[in-house]
Amino acid sequence: MPAEPIIRFDSVTKSFGALAAVDGISFAAVAGETIALLGPSGCGKTTTLRLIAGFEDPDRGTIEIAGESMIGKRPYERNVGLLFQHYALFPHMTVAENIAYGLRHRHWPKAEIATRTTEMLRLVQLDGFGPRRPQQLSGGQQQRVALARVLATKPRLVLLDEPLSALDAKLREELRLELKQILAATGSTTIVVTHDQDEAMGLADRIIVMNRGRIEQQGAPAEIYAKPASRFVASFMGRSNWLDGTAKATHRGPFANVVLDNGLILNIANPGLADDTPVSLGIRPERITLGQPADEDRVTGANQFGGQILGVTDMGAETHYRVTSPAGPLTVVRPNSGEHRFTAGEPVRLGFCAEDCLVFPHPAAPR
Amino acid sequence: MTPRRADDIIRFLCKLMNCAIVLFLLTPIIVTTLMAFDARDYLGPLPPPALSFRWFTAFFSDSYFLKGLAISLKLAACSVAISLTAGIATAYATDQTTFRGKDALIAFFLSPLVVPPVVTGFALLLFLSKIGVIDGFARLLCGHIIITIPYTIRATLAALSGIDRSYTEAALILGATKRRAFWDVTFPLARTGIISGAIFAFAISMDDVAVSIMLTDAKTYTLPIALISSMRANFDLSIAAASVMLMAMTVLLIVILEKLIGLNRAIGQGVFR
Repeated sequence: MPAEPIIRFDSVTKSFGALAAVDGISFAAVAGETIALLGPSGCGKTTTLRLIAGFEDPDRGTIEIAGESMIGKRPYERNVGLLFQHYALFPHMTVAENIAYGLRHRHWPKAEIATRTTEMLRLVQLDGFGPRRPQQLSGGQQQRVALARVLATKPRLVLLDEPLSALDAKLREELRLELKQILAATGSTTIVVTHDQDEAMGLADRIIVMNRGRIEQQGAPAEIYAKPASRFVASFMGRSNWLDGTAKATHRGPFANVVLDNGLILNIANPGLADDTPVSLGIRPERITLGQPADEDRVTGANQFGGQILGVTDMGAETHYRVTSPAGPLTVVRPNSGEHRFTAGEPVRLGFCAEDCLVFPHPAAPR
Repeated sequence: MTPRRADDIIRFLCKLMNCAIVLFLLTPIIVTTLMAFDARDYLGPLPPPALSFRWFTAFFSDSYFLKGLAISLKLAACSVAISLTAGIATAYATDQTTFRGKDALIAFFLSPLVVPPVVTGFALLLFLSKIGVIDGFARLLCGHIIITIPYTIRATLAALSGIDRSYTEAALILGATKRRAFWDVTFPLARTGIISGAIFAFAISMDDVAVSIMLTDAKTYTLPIALISSMRANFDLSIAAASVMLMAMTVLLIVILEKLIGLNRAIGQGVFR
């Protein structure tokens, strides 16, 4: 029997005026799970978060936390923790007072509040910072204080609103690992709202991709990246080279073809579409193999052709190539792990597998 | 060379203008102050040959002025207390909701600033007589609440709208009720603005003539009214002494305000972000 979900959304709808910010979404999270709500701004992820926190009430549908309906419950009746995007640490209170705030409102005895506050400061590695003011701390430290304040009350559910977006890139990576570790250590059930794919993939066990108030796809991060359910998900999760064409020979079993608009024929895994459907074909830049023109061993895949290197950008850990090909200019990413590095102007051979072609009905075409 | 010369001349003229304006603003104050300390018992040419506190003594031994001062202080305290409470409540309610015509409503709250005080006073006099309010202090209190409330509303509204909504939401999600969140978070963060509004309101109430003169009666009068009527009756320099004391009070209030706002600046961007 599956575990009782900590949070359950069932066909929840919330409109602002004529706009449905959240349009009939359903999902659930079990204890200890970390879920990411991922999508561009305006996709409804923040409204979803505010519905869970109780800052908004749904127009339709049910929201349950630990089996208990949340309809009509005020935020302070829910025992949910929320880490705000800009932390919202109270500037007129010390770090310790900030952390103790939730405990005071739960009427903990004074001595226990003090113990818990010290414990939380230790958890986020800020021992001794209790008497300071939030504005005397760095961005990363403020974020950790905010996390301590959220976790101090042992909430049933932890909500993170773009938790790392206010930090610079290097600190972000560090804190993402730390955040994940702390959430795991406290066994928190967590919902992360983010527009950042790295944040979602780095923190979550499961990702829910949202677009225009609806759920586009949910699943494990690797699964969503490898098998996106729609062109939207594919283009939102990671980069792709997009080519337009028409599906052909789709009745012939596991493989089919796409005839590109310039006439080139590519081999694809059968997408289950009717013949002559206009399609968008995406190939991840790191799934394209590169080799010297004669190098047929290194270059793999059912689609192979010659090309020429247009430009090279060395990113340190990997190299980004811009390559001309019969299919048009393509971006190719290769890891810098001792492989031959190409230079601009060099002729190359490139190839990719039929299974690596992500094929979706063309978004402009009628369904 | 010539364009530079023109620039220099304009800059010089601007400086000159500055000096002229400062002089223009300062001269009456200096003259009043000098006269307040004049030792002569008649109005002689300036500067006075000797200085004394005699007019201050005269002021404080005149029960007519003292009664006016007492009423003014009591009136200012009461009207500020009421318009502050009403102003905070109004501003909070306005800040919490969004609706069509919100801006128009805010403009309406500030309308006593636009209506000439004489009109306010006269209208109030007619209205209060009609409904049978004849008590002098009650009439003055009504008038002073009307002229002070725009300041308390405006200052509180400005302070509240500067507070990020997420502070209140953070308090709520941490378990505070809306009432607690207001007292724990909203009020402390808006305090500086609220206090500066209260100080302005106090100064306005202490200073008002136009509204008070309509609502005053023989037994209930404010200090500015007492000063004006004594000036008409028998002019002596205790009026100058009273003016100097009113000025001193205003300066004191400004210093307090500056301290508060300066303090706020020192605390940093945190408060109003």
